[in-house]
Amino acid sequence: MKFLLDIMEKFRPLFREGGAFARMAPVYDATEAIFFAPDETAHTAPHVRDPLDLKRFMSMVILAVAPCALIGIHHFGLRVIAMIIVSYAAGGTVEVLVAMIRKEPINEGFLVTGLLFPLILPPGLPLWMVGVGVAFGVLVGKEVFGGTGRNVFNPALVGRCFLLMAYPSYMSSGWIIPGTGLMGRALEWVDTSVADAISSATPLVLMKNSLTDPSVIPETVRNLFLGNTAGCVGATSALAILLGGVFLIIVGVASWRTTVGIFGSFIILGAILHWVYPAKFAPLTLQLFSGGLFFGAFFMATDPVTSPMTKCGQLVYGILIGTLTLLIRGLSGYPEGMMFAILLGNTSAYIFDKIAISSKLRKLADER
Amino acid sequence: MNSGKSLQMRGGYNVNLAGRPNGVIETLPEPSRLVIPLKSARLSFTEIAVSDGESVSCGQILATDPACFSLPLLASRGGQVRLNEVEGHIVIDSLEVCPSGLVEAAESLDHVAETYTAPKDRSAKIGKLIELGAWHNLRDAHTGKVPDPEVEPQAVIVSTVRSEPFRCRGDVLLRERVNEFMRGLEHIQSLLEYQPIYLLMPPSVSPLAKDIREKLRGHAYINLVLLNTKYPNYNFRLLTRSLGQKPEAEKRVWGIGVQGVLAVERALTHGLPCVNRVVSLGGPGVALPTNLRAAAGYPLDELLDSRLSVSSPRVINGGVLTGERVGEDVKGLDVECDSLTVLSNETERTFLAFVRPGFGKRSYSKTFMSSFRGKFTEGLTTALNGELRPCVSCGLCEDVCPAGIMPYLIHRFLYRDGLEDAEEARVDLCVGCGLCSYVCPSKIDLRQQLLDAQVALEELHAEEVPE
Repeated sequence: MKFLLDIMEKFRPLFREGGAFARMAPVYDATEAIFFAPDETAHTAPHVRDPLDLKRFMSMVILAVAPCALIGIHHFGLRVIAMIIVSYAAGGTVEVLVAMIRKEPINEGFLVTGLLFPLILPPGLPLWMVGVGVAFGVLVGKEVFGGTGRNVFNPALVGRCFLLMAYPSYMSSGWIIPGTGLMGRALEWVDTSVADAISSATPLVLMKNSLTDPSVIPETVRNLFLGNTAGCVGATSALAILLGGVFLIIVGVASWRTTVGIFGSFIILGAILHWVYPAKFAPLTLQLFSGGLFFGAFFMATDPVTSPMTKCGQLVYGILIGTLTLLIRGLSGYPEGMMFAILLGNTSAYIFDKIAISSKLRKLADER
Repeated sequence: MNSGKSLQMRGGYNVNLAGRPNGVIETLPEPSRLVIPLKSARLSFTEIAVSDGESVSCGQILATDPACFSLPLLASRGGQVRLNEVEGHIVIDSLEVCPSGLVEAAESLDHVAETYTAPKDRSAKIGKLIELGAWHNLRDAHTGKVPDPEVEPQAVIVSTVRSEPFRCRGDVLLRERVNEFMRGLEHIQSLLEYQPIYLLMPPSVSPLAKDIREKLRGHAYINLVLLNTKYPNYNFRLLTRSLGQKPEAEKRVWGIGVQGVLAVERALTHGLPCVNRVVSLGGPGVALPTNLRAAAGYPLDELLDSRLSVSSPRVINGGVLTGERVGEDVKGLDVECDSLTVLSNETERTFLAFVRPGFGKRSYSKTFMSSFRGKFTEGLTTALNGELRPCVSCGLCEDVCPAGIMPYLIHRFLYRDGLEDAEEARVDLCVGCGLCSYVCPSKIDLRQQLLDAQVALEELHAEEVPE
């Protein structure tokens, strides 16, 4: 790849101070950073550094989400690819503009947001909305706080929340019946204009209106687990999410404490509430595998930036999210509560950290 | 046999760097001249005691450090002093020929040996240690500084292992010197009243370890403590904490290594000055990693020239994790140097490094396929391996931290100038092992930031308490 490096080096002066495209320096740097490892060396001790960098850290998330994206394409067609492209393009533009204004390098965090965002949208959503949503998410959810590493809320969820508030009808329709068979809809372009592909509601909406037929529960659960159901692009198959999520926990990028906290509280509370109040709370197995619970628990809530930093805080944070999800699903007007629960969890992450840190520091107080 | 008690430590990680020095101590040929630096890690010899052109003998005092109990800088060979030849150094040329090529045998040091009578009381012994250049081998376990000779310690920690790649190995130093080592421990004991000596050793079953344990019989004042060699377990500061020693202003804990104990023995048994050091020379940039016995002031160019295997070397005084880069202006071995580690500065600009499986890249994290491999060594370079980015709270630095603090939290406090918050987060407990900087995926210089904060806090408190 020497020739590519030579080309890059030839163009570098154009993007440096005094060059014709000096303002575009972040774009050049980001391109170079994607293709080639930097030639910078450690200035101070330690003189050697671990090979892990933020790019690899983030690419682990992309790798883990890949099965969900592929299943999304299989179920809902080529349009999913278009959604991903729009998401990357619109969000990337915002990211580049902000980086140029701030004269800071472009951060890798966006590579994750750009992929996660379309996966939590209804597959029939107009493409321009995908663009608007991700742009809002990146700008308001991340950049105004100072960029990657300093944001309070998960940018993808901020974007989704914005869309839900601004275009509620689009966000609660646009469901498509997933393709079946070996190829599914992988070679089709399906949107809401294709009448026989439209699904009236997701399993959660059916549950909300107590329309679930008890006799089909086992089959529904099986469909939910494999992803053979209407729902958000990447969040339908619990199996695919489990695959990627467990990988993410094994490589240490996501914290198992958050995920365990979410599932633990959800399962315990879900079983109790269904027993006490079956009219409002659907059976646990049905609840567990439907909606965004799996996707949120493995990919959204575990974002290290917006979740608590302390181990103890992560567990409590998970418990809060699991509990809130269940309560919102059962007791509010919304069929799904995962997004709100995580955003509320993001808000409280700081408090959990504060408590955990002060107890930790108390233990250190006598050390010398 | 003394079975010893085991100690458990938190955090830590071994960087498996290629170029580990072998088990041999090679004696260097006599140099053409000596270039003795006036500065070393903790000492700065500013008061020159000789004049230009003066003839000095081996072991004579060349300069002293007024800021550090007037510790002396000794001439490591006899010869003629040149003061103004190399800035920041004292040059000795026209060196006297040593019969055996090194200042090992007592007869080559007639002037010292003849007049020598073994000191009896504590203060005379300490005076001897200072005079013969052995005192700086001791360190205050808490601060790392040279301990105050006036203050009696509450305990002494003797560490036989330097687990950082690549500091001088205790087993190499001890080979065939076990008797001297035991005698050195007796000398150290004689400086104390009843305070304990902790001897730290790996739970090894080697003949050497067995021999030492056998010899510890009858030395009830020595507490044998077993500790595995994971870096930075043998850090004196961490050891004081794990051993439950809480240093106070007038009660300090001393730390000393094998080389130090041998120097004490040499000084107090034979009255010989500490002029030769064993320096380990290792790292991926060295052709044949080994240990060298060399005089302080041995010219670095003579020492290194034929031994390097890389075109763009970075020479580090100390280990790769905590050592300081040897600058262009340093021309000779300083009196505190126990290891030189050489890395290559040539970084490879790997194409799409972040998507490669990484079988050959060892990482603290589990994000490389090398996690499936066993232990292997790697020829690491000085490459940063990534771009500087904001902290993403991945938590790796907290996992690896042996001091049990939260480097990322302190980094955040310092980022917004919250020095007081950093103090509350116990930045002072940082031992500067460097592992947080090593593992950080955002390539933040956490170690430097934490150490800078410690200095800033010390200055702040010094201002608050007027003398």
